[in-house]
Parts: sequence; C-alpha cells; structure tokens
Amino acid sequence: MLSSTLVSGPRILYFDDIQVGAEYESPGRTVTEADIVLFAGLSGDYNVLHTDAEHMKASIFGERIAHGLLVLSIQQGLLGRAMPECAGSSLIALKWKFRGPIKIGDTVRVRARVTAVREGDKPEWGVIAIERRVLNQRGEVVQEGETEHMIERRRA
Amino acid sequence: MPSPATTGPAPGSAATQSYFEDLEIGVVLETPGMTITEAHVGLFAGLVGERSADPFAVPDLLPLCLSSGLGWRTDTPPLVVLAFMGFEWRSHASVRVGDTIHARSHTAAKRAMREGGVVFEEREIVNHRGEVVQSCRITLLVARRPAS
Repeated sequence: MLSSTLVSGPRILYFDDIQVGAEYESPGRTVTEADIVLFAGLSGDYNVLHTDAEHMKASIFGERIAHGLLVLSIQQGLLGRAMPECAGSSLIALKWKFRGPIKIGDTVRVRARVTAVREGDKPEWGVIAIERRVLNQRGEVVQEGETEHMIERRRA
Repeated sequence: MPSPATTGPAPGSAATQSYFEDLEIGVVLETPGMTITEAHVGLFAGLVGERSADPFAVPDLLPLCLSSGLGWRTDTPPLVVLAFMGFEWRSHASVRVGDTIHARSHTAAKRAMREGGVVFEEREIVNHRGEVVQSCRITLLVARRPAS
C-alpha cells in the first residue's frame, strides 16, 4: 500500500509542496445496489443498463452494471481519502476511459500518480496533472485517465 | 472497453428509441434546465464521499452527472447506448448552488462498427446566464436499429 505516505491529522498541501512522481493508493469501496439506485435517482439516468435487472440478465453482463460516472465520482472521493487536502483545489480538465463493467458487489480502489506540475495563468495558482487507474478486486483496470487540477500556491 | 449487450436494445418500440442510424451530424439538442440545490450537493457528497469546505460550491463532476440524466428529457427519443467508452472534459467556470444548468449537445462524428456504432458527442453545460461552464466530448457505443 502506498497510502503510508498519508500523515495523521489534517494537513493541507499547496502547489509548491507537490512533487512529480508522488503516488497514492486509496482504500477500497464496494459498489452496492444502493449506490446505483441513489445515483440513478440523483442524476436522472435510468438507462436499463443500470436499472432493469431482468433485461440485463439476458445481456452479456448478466446483471445491472454501475454508471460509469458513478464510479468516476466514487474514485474522486476515494482519492480524497488517500491524499492530503490540496488548497483551493478544483478540477479543470479530465480525460477518461471506461475499460470494463463494474457490477454490484465489486470493490474498487484508485491508484494515482502526479505526472506534471506547471505554472497557472495567475501567479497565485499552479496546475498539477494526476494519472489515475481504478482497479477492481481482481486487480483489473476498470477505468483510467488523467485529471488536471488548479491548486493554490503558498503565500510568501 | 465494455462489451455491448449482445441481446440488443431494451424492449420498446423503434419509435420510442433512437438508434445509430437516426443520429444526424450537427443537429443540436437542448435539454430542460435543472436548478442545482443544496440537496443535490449533499446527496452527491454523501454518495461519492467528496469533501468540500464550501457548502455552496457544486462538486466539479456533479453538473456532468446531472447532464447525463437531462439528456433523457429532450423531445428526441432516447438513444440506445450500449456502453459509455470515454470522454474528455473541461471546466470553464465554477458552478454554485442556485445556478440553473442545462445541456446543449450535438453529434460531431459517427462510425459504424460490427456491432453498433461509435458516436462522438460534443456537449456543453450552460448556466442560467448563458455561460458555458463545462464542455466535453463523449464517446459512446450505440445500438444499430434492429432489422425487422
């Protein structure tokens, strides 16, 4: 586990603290039927892929699968539990691939690595890029991609 | 890549669903609006476990999640999507509780495959002042119209 880099107690990272190559691994989270039902209700995406168990029995998945955006959102939350909070962080760009289905009962975790740091448009901000892989309980990559975040710089 | 459901689209007559063949390049679809409330933010934060110090800041991924549901509520019959393959997304402005968003989208390109077809959709998420707050290019695997 790489999450041993996590320090105890609250700590805030500024852009200046972040190093290329830093790695984080989140705890696991089991995706439940309740997660999928709640996400369908919240997002309004009731596609049969996620909501019709009978229809999906006859599909090659054999059962309902989680919304791709649900698991993308879950990994964002998981990474937040493995990485110290970044000051004023906001997501500015995302490139993402859905590699395989996530079924009810699957347990996902995210592995992330800082791949780039660069100056922002304004002196008080910097931008970092994080490469992420979402793995299931068998170690298969089910989603992967890269995110860019704007982070506050430490004030002099 | 997730494999398509080989048994084909969900039950429903051809008139109530759209297929790969029905998509025309460049035709713009606008969804109804959705006002983002504290309830949306609280539910989303609890569901996905994303923390935020500012309760009126809308989590970055929530507008995109809402836009996928709004896409089902246009006059065009819903598209039979077999798999969501990937996307590229950018944020242009922050979204706050109380903002009303809607989505505007069009098919930018499409390519027939052995099973179904790949569709590239351009989507913009627009706030109540008409500002594009987020934009994305989405890759979907879509069912072909069943032969009958």
